[in-house]
Amino acid sequence: MSEGQTASLRRTALYDEHVALGARIVPFGGFGMPVQYAGIIKEHNAVRRGAGAFDLSHMAQFELSGDGVAAWADELAVNAVATMRPFQARYNLFCNERGGTHDDVLFYRLPDRWLLVVNASNAQKMWDYLESSNDRAGVRLENLHGRRALVAVQGPRAVEIVVALSDVDAAALKYYFCAEGTVCGARATIARTGYTGEDGFELFLDGEAAPRVWRRVLELGAEPAGLGARDMLRLEAGMPLYGFELSEEISPIAGGQRWAVKLDKPRFVGKAALERQIAGDTYERIAGVILAGRVPARTGYPVWLGKRRVGEVRSASVAPSLGGKNIATVLVEKDAAALGTALDVEIRGAMHAAHVVPLPFYKRDA
Amino acid sequence: MPQPEGLLYSKEHEWAKFDGDVATVGITDYAQNSLGDIVYVELPRVGSAVAQFASIGVVESVKAVSDLFSPVGGEVVEDNATLEADPAAVNRDPYGAGWLYKVKVSDLAQRGLLMSAADYDAMVAATGT
Repeated sequence: MSEGQTASLRRTALYDEHVALGARIVPFGGFGMPVQYAGIIKEHNAVRRGAGAFDLSHMAQFELSGDGVAAWADELAVNAVATMRPFQARYNLFCNERGGTHDDVLFYRLPDRWLLVVNASNAQKMWDYLESSNDRAGVRLENLHGRRALVAVQGPRAVEIVVALSDVDAAALKYYFCAEGTVCGARATIARTGYTGEDGFELFLDGEAAPRVWRRVLELGAEPAGLGARDMLRLEAGMPLYGFELSEEISPIAGGQRWAVKLDKPRFVGKAALERQIAGDTYERIAGVILAGRVPARTGYPVWLGKRRVGEVRSASVAPSLGGKNIATVLVEKDAAALGTALDVEIRGAMHAAHVVPLPFYKRDA
Repeated sequence: MPQPEGLLYSKEHEWAKFDGDVATVGITDYAQNSLGDIVYVELPRVGSAVAQFASIGVVESVKAVSDLFSPVGGEVVEDNATLEADPAAVNRDPYGAGWLYKVKVSDLAQRGLLMSAADYDAMVAATGT
């Protein structure tokens, strides 16, 4: 893309590193971000077999503090917040009153504060929503979007890399827990979380420290990996992407995240709508499909069950981890979402066979 | 990367290599690099007629679908069947193993509407990357 198109975009602390590595820069969430370096499939394979490094500094980091955070957040978000232990991380979603999804997020509980990571594409919407929903004296919000960096190290070799650059016992850190310590001498929150389906870590740190941490991670053998590989990895791992499997119209229930909806909480925004949706059980829902042929599906392509159009493709990719098969998520009527159902995806006017499979498409060996 | 001499180029980043009245067609190195990992190529059927510069197929990368425009017109006489199992050959070797199809060109005057390697390089340089 031309200079003129990228000039107006915000840059993360690692922007110059990406350019020096020959990355292709695209606009994402208001930032100029690397979509690929050496090639999406090559980067994907590096994460599955070795280690990949991702700049996720475009994601918004909000800090929540005060003794009222847990009770307040439990009335907004669908998953439980107050039951989180110190240093625990938990996936969560915020809904609108109709049950649609404002955003899917991660909460990290630290001893004296909470870190909330929201999607870059929803950063301003979520900040405005949280601020306008904050009627409590015991809740303080701080927006660190653009100031704090986030570097993810993902893959079977991630643990040895993070052990080598951190004073935290990263190998002993449990999945979905975090620790405070240093990486390359800089203060950081080190979390065993990720969005690739592999073991790995997310390093939250000041932007100023990010370039030297990034370089050290690459020196230790991680391949730089862009947003293209990240999307391919998360789709194989069956993880939703906001705007595709979740949206203001697609609820956590329809989007396959029912496990995260805690209906035993006394109240939260969207609860009544989600209860009605579950009881009715007629909603369109996300399912995974594998296509029989080599023609890739794309977002928005129509999906058919016999002569009836039952929905559309939401995300699609070739899946290197499945031998190059074409996979997709579809948003379809209930009967079309049953496991094993034979569907057709309409691609440029022609029908291409697909069948419904369980999610995730890919699960790493334990 | 400079384009190979002896080939002719279209504005849509295809090349044509003439051998008598048969032209072999492919996409340029610039095109394959811009597209990224190619995962599927849909070619015109052998025996079908194609018009010069008409949209006659698609090249699909991981991220996008791109129309394929034929740099020459005539009858398709052969296609590169190996691309069905190995579309990445277009990335690895766009001027060799990654060729797409061959056309018995209906009118050799079509060559006048294509660019030399130098002119194509100049066009790509002016486009910016």
